[in-house]
Amino acid sequence: MSASKLFLVSLVVFISVFPIFVSGALASNGEDAAASAVERAEGVVVSAYQDVLEAERAGANVSGLLAQLNDAAGILVQARISYMAGDSNETVRFADLCSEVGENVRKDAHRLRDLAVKEADERFLWTMIGSIVSVSAIVCATFIGWLAFKRRFHERTSG
Amino acid sequence: MNLEEYRTLFLAASLALILIAAFPTLSMVIRFPKSSENFSELWVLGPDHKAEGYPFNVTANEAYRVFVGGSNHLGYSVYYVLYVKLRNQTQPLPDNQKSVPSSLPPLYEFRAFVPDGATWETPVVFSFLEVSPFENSCFVRRMSINDVVFSLDSSSNWDSERSGFYYQLFFELWLYNTTLQSFQYHDRFVGIWLNMTG
Repeated sequence: MSASKLFLVSLVVFISVFPIFVSGALASNGEDAAASAVERAEGVVVSAYQDVLEAERAGANVSGLLAQLNDAAGILVQARISYMAGDSNETVRFADLCSEVGENVRKDAHRLRDLAVKEADERFLWTMIGSIVSVSAIVCATFIGWLAFKRRFHERTSG
Repeated sequence: MNLEEYRTLFLAASLALILIAAFPTLSMVIRFPKSSENFSELWVLGPDHKAEGYPFNVTANEAYRVFVGGSNHLGYSVYYVLYVKLRNQTQPLPDNQKSVPSSLPPLYEFRAFVPDGATWETPVVFSFLEVSPFENSCFVRRMSINDVVFSLDSSSNWDSERSGFYYQLFFELWLYNTTLQSFQYHDRFVGIWLNMTG
C-alpha cells in the first residue's frame, strides 16, 4: 500500500471514529453539567429552607415562603426525573429554574427574618419599659400607701 | 391584726402585683416547654378520598389512583421527601423499630414543605405498562407514576395460599434534619397491596 493510500484510509477511519468520541465526550459533559445543576439546586433549596426556618424562629409569617419553596421542590423533582431519563437539557433548565426560585426565597427569608427580629426587639423594649414603669408605680404606691396606713393605724390605736 | 401582720399583707399584695406587671416581660425571656407530643402523620386514601376502595386486583395498562398525605405536628415547618417503592412479598419493608428504610430503590419521589399543624396531600396515579407472567412468576418491566415512565425489574412468585401475584406499593416518609444536614427516614410508611391479575 502506498503512503498516499495509507493516509487516505487513516483519514477515513479518523473521520468516521472522531464523532463517536466527540459525541461521547459531549454527552458526558452534558451529564456532568446536569448532575452538578441538580446538586446545586438541591443545595439552594436546602439553604432556602434553613433561612425560612430562621425567619420562622424569629417570629415571621413564612407561609408565603413555604408556598414558594413547594414550587421549587416540584421543579426539583422534575429536574431529577429528567436527569434519570437522561435528558440533560431539561435537567439543567429545571434545576436552574429551581435555583432561581430558591435564591428568591432566600432573599425574602433574610428580609422577613430581619424585619421580625427588629419587630421583636421593639416589642420587647416597649414591653420591658411597660413592666418597669408598672413595677415602679406599684412599689411607690405600696410604699406611700403603707406610710399612710401606718399613720392612720397609730392614730387609731393611740386615740 | 397587729402592724407587723398588716405589713406582711402589704408586702404580699405588692409582690403579687409586681409579678403580674412583670409577667409580659418574663414570658418573653423564659421559654416554657411545649407539653404536646411532636409527630408526623402519613396516610393513603382510595380514589374517592376515603379509606376504602383501594386498588387491589390490577392489570397492565390500567391507571389506578390513590391519595397520599401527611400532616406535620413537629412544632416547626418541615421539609419532607416521600419515596414511592414497589416490593414483592419477600423484599424488605422499612424497619420502624430500628429506623431503617427499605433497601429498595425509590421509583418516584414527592417533596413538600409543610408548616406546623398543616396537612399535605398529593394524588398518585400509577399503572403497570409491561407485565409478563412466566410459569410461576410475574415480571413487571415498566410502570408509570404520575405520567412518568420507569423501567424496573421486579418479579413476584405465585402465592398459592392467596392465589395471586402480590406486590406492595408503599410510601416512605423522610425528613430533612437540619443538624445532620441530610434527609433521614422518619419511621413512617404506608402501602397498599396489589394482586397482578394480567
